[in-house]
Formats: sequence, structure tokens, C-alpha cells
Amino acid sequence: MIRQSWWKILSVLLLVYTFVAGLLVPLKPGIAEVSPRAFKAGSEVEMTVTGYNSMYSKAKNNLNAWLKLSGENAEDERVLKASSIQVVNDRTLKLAFKLPEYLPSDSKDDVCSLILDSPVDGAIVLPEGIALTQDSVNFKEGMDLWSVDKITHLNVNSGLTFPYRSVLYETIRNQYFHVPLWFAMLFLFLFSVGFSVRYLRTFDADADHRTLALNRAGFAFGILGLVTGAIWAKYTWGAYWSWDVKQNMTAVALLIYAAYFILRGAFQDEEKKARLSAVYNIFAFAALIPLIFVIPRLTDSLHPGNGGNPAFGKEDLDNTMRMVFYPAGIGWTLLGFWIAAIAYRIEKLQSKLLDA
Amino acid sequence: MNFFSQISILLRKELVLELRMGYAISGILLYVLSTIFIVYSAFFQGVTNPMLWITLFWIIMLFASVNAIVKSFVQENGNRQLYYYTLLNPTAVIVSKMVYNITLLFLLSLLTWGALAFMVGNQINEFSGFLLALFLGSVGFSILFTFVAAISSKADNNSTLLAILSFPLVIPILMTLIKLSVSATGVLEDTSAIQDIGILIAIDLMLAGLALVLYPFLWKD
Repeated sequence: MIRQSWWKILSVLLLVYTFVAGLLVPLKPGIAEVSPRAFKAGSEVEMTVTGYNSMYSKAKNNLNAWLKLSGENAEDERVLKASSIQVVNDRTLKLAFKLPEYLPSDSKDDVCSLILDSPVDGAIVLPEGIALTQDSVNFKEGMDLWSVDKITHLNVNSGLTFPYRSVLYETIRNQYFHVPLWFAMLFLFLFSVGFSVRYLRTFDADADHRTLALNRAGFAFGILGLVTGAIWAKYTWGAYWSWDVKQNMTAVALLIYAAYFILRGAFQDEEKKARLSAVYNIFAFAALIPLIFVIPRLTDSLHPGNGGNPAFGKEDLDNTMRMVFYPAGIGWTLLGFWIAAIAYRIEKLQSKLLDA
Repeated sequence: MNFFSQISILLRKELVLELRMGYAISGILLYVLSTIFIVYSAFFQGVTNPMLWITLFWIIMLFASVNAIVKSFVQENGNRQLYYYTLLNPTAVIVSKMVYNITLLFLLSLLTWGALAFMVGNQINEFSGFLLALFLGSVGFSILFTFVAAISSKADNNSTLLAILSFPLVIPILMTLIKLSVSATGVLEDTSAIQDIGILIAIDLMLAGLALVLYPFLWKD
């Protein structure tokens, strides 16, 4: 019993781990909001920083903040230290800067990053988030004024956290559900093609039952993948369905498999049904490849990994995320095969009942 | 009788049948003309946008192709099919149908283009590019629709089934064709035309290869 169903137990364990770790591990502290975001050089300015998951009260007087202008190369960093830091509460901070008369810049306006360092939260960067303007340009003077301060020491957050990304925020956790569901679906469809091939070689009804069961489970996973993607898109792209090429192509992929089930319904004769649906299944899977892998690459898409959007696998997938993502992929795939195994047994029992 | 002489005999048979029955091909021609007339009447302001012209062209072509191809397995009854299969190689049967349908669809697309240009106005400026798109489109449509028609002809309600089974599969071909055709209007400078042609050829080859491998499993009843 245990020896036969070890993979079912493994899938449950991995999915429990996915849900617990994927939903409970907090996001890395980040800067949610800075206001105002535009300043004029040569004045004393104050800004309110709203943190996300931050613990400012705990850090108290050990906080440091800098404005940083990106230079030509990494070495000549132009920074300005905050003149005063006032902690309002855990999530709110008031920073004051004495902006010098000139910027180390060739133009009248420039953008700078805000760096916030805390021994509790680690160093947080708000990249290119603050606009600075100056009345007249004096590059050399600006260079001198901005090279007084130096970034001395940055703390590292050693806690177990997921990356904090603007736009994505908490929805980054969808990667443990949406992406593995698609992987599992592709695996199920791939195996169903394998059984279709076996059916055409042996004309064994058992292979047809397996194909049908795998396609049913794959179709269910496809719908779940589409739904999790749509919910994610509501929060990040602003609408459940935005006619993005990836969404369209996946909807079409599901239509193809819906057509497979309709095709099966069109025949009374079991042997004819099995044979024709096996042929269509192989043909449809081949047609699915350009649909999912080729067409989305030709057109601009909002989906991560397309059209300059951040791809999973670059900086969005850090090592902590990998610790959940890979087990999630294995867990969901095993669950898919488990569902398919049950669907197969139901199909087999039904055909036995029909024969009797 | 070797494979190629089988194909040539089957092609001659298709042509003779077509010419003898007559109404099938003229029916399709009339179908295209009346669809274009409907399109022209529906768009009161005329179709001046090249993108819209291309889209309408390919939608008309899509439905005309389905209607032209759906008959390829239905017009001959089961007994005659059985007779062919005792005499001939099944692959020769599907290849001859595909070749015949490619020619038919290519002529049909030329006619649609001509009729659309006559009634709505021509939007194509690069003739050779568009002709290539028409040819690749005819090849893709006829391979896909012929094969799916072979599947759906085994069921009773086959014209609905053909549409259900083939429309989702044809979308990659259709999207690439529209993209390629838009560059033939000369409105947009498209640098990826070669890539599109490559993708179309790859899809066509893949579908053709699969159709040839799988067809022998389809015919025997």
C-alpha cells in the first residue's frame, strides 16, 4: 500500500509545504510610497516614506537614508545623506534632506534613487523614484557638493523572505500556483499523446481510457491555470481578461481539448471513438506547440517574460522562491497524475459495466 | 501501380468529378461573391483601412475554404471509399486530396482577391509578397481542413464538427498569415516577414507530416 502510493503521499506533502511556505513567508520589506516625489535643488526638503512590512520603530536611531544619483560608472556614486530621520511608526518615516544648489548633472532635471538602511529590515532601494530639478547647470560644483557623503555600511536582511517587487507585491506568490499548474497540464497532455500513440499501435482499449483520463485532468488543470492567471491579471494588469496574446492562445488551447471531448461524444461505436480521438489528440497536441511556444513570442505581450516585462527566472525568482517553486511544480504534477489515475479507474469501471 | 501514378490518377478523378458535377465549384464561387457583397453592404463607409481589408479577406477565405473542403470526403459514399482503399495506398488518397485542395484554395484566394479589389478596392501594394502569403495560406488551410474533414466525415453531423475541430487549430496559421499580409499592403515596414514565412512553412510541414502518418489509421472502418 505505502510502496504503491508513495508518490501520492509525496504530492500531498509537497503541496502542504507549498501552501504553508508559499502563503506564510513574508515579503521582503520595501518602500511602498514616497511623497512628494519631485524636489527642487537648493532647498531643504522633507519627504514621507511609507514602508511595506517594515519595522522602523525597532531600528530607531540606527536608520540611515541616502539619495543616490547614478553616475557614468558605478564607482563615482553621487550620494546625499539625510539630514534628519524621524520615525513616526513602523510603516511611516519622515526624511529631511538639505539639497545643494547644483546637481552633478548635465541637464536641468535628473532622477535619483532612495536608499534606506536599517539593521532590522536590511537595505532597501527605491530605484529611480525621485525627480530632482535645478535652475542652472553647474556640473563641477554639483560633483563637489554631492561627493561629501559616502554610503558607509549597508545591512543585509537575513530573514526568510520573498522579493518585494512593485506592481507584483503579494501576487508574486501566484508563481507557486499558476506556473506549476501549467507545467502539470503540459505533462498530462504529453503523456496522453504517448497513450494515443500506444493505442494506435496496439488498439488496446486500456490505452484509450488512460488518454481520456489524462486529458480530463489536464483540461481541469488548464482551466485552473487560466483562472489563477486571470485573478493575478486583475491585480497587476487591471482586468481579468485583457485580450493579451498569451491569454488568447491558452483559451484556444483549451478550446482544442474541448473539441476533443465533443469529438468523442459524436461517435457511438467505442472502437471508432477511441481510434479517431487518438488521431485527433496527436494532431491537436502538435498544433498546440506553435500556439503556446511560437505565437506569443512573435507578438507583444504583457505576460512576464514577454515584451520587456520581468521574467520569472531572472531577479524575480530568487533562491527563497526556488525553495518553494520547484517542490510546488513536482507536487502539482503528481497531483495531476493522481487525479488522472482516479479518472482512469472510473472510466475502466464504466466500460466494464457497459460490457456486463 | 506506384505511389505517384496513383496520385496522378486520383487527381484526374477529382478534376473530372468536379467538372462533371459543376455545381460544387460554382457554388463556392458564388459563396465568395455573395459574402463579399454582404461585407461591402455592411461597411457603408467602405473598407479604407488596410488592416480591416486584410482581416476581412482572410475571414472570407477561412469560411470559403471550410465550405470548399468539407465536401472532399462527403461527396463520395462509403462503398466507393472502400473500393479505393482496396486498390490504392491510403497515403496516396490523402495526398491527392490535399494537392487538389491546395490548387482549389489557391485559385479561390486569387478570385477572392480579385473580387474584393473590384468591389471594395485593392489595398495590396506588394504583389509577390501577398501571392506568397496566399500560397502558404492555401497550403496550410488545405492540409489542416482536409485532414480534419477526414476525421469529421466519420461522424454524422460533420460540417459543425469540422468547424469545431479545425478553427482552434487554424488560429496560429491565420494569425501569422494576417501579420504577413499586412506587410504586403506596404503600410507598415515589417522586418520579421522572413521569420513569419519560416513559421508558416514549419507549421505546414509539421501538419503535413503528421497527417500523412496518421491518415492510414483513419480510413479503415
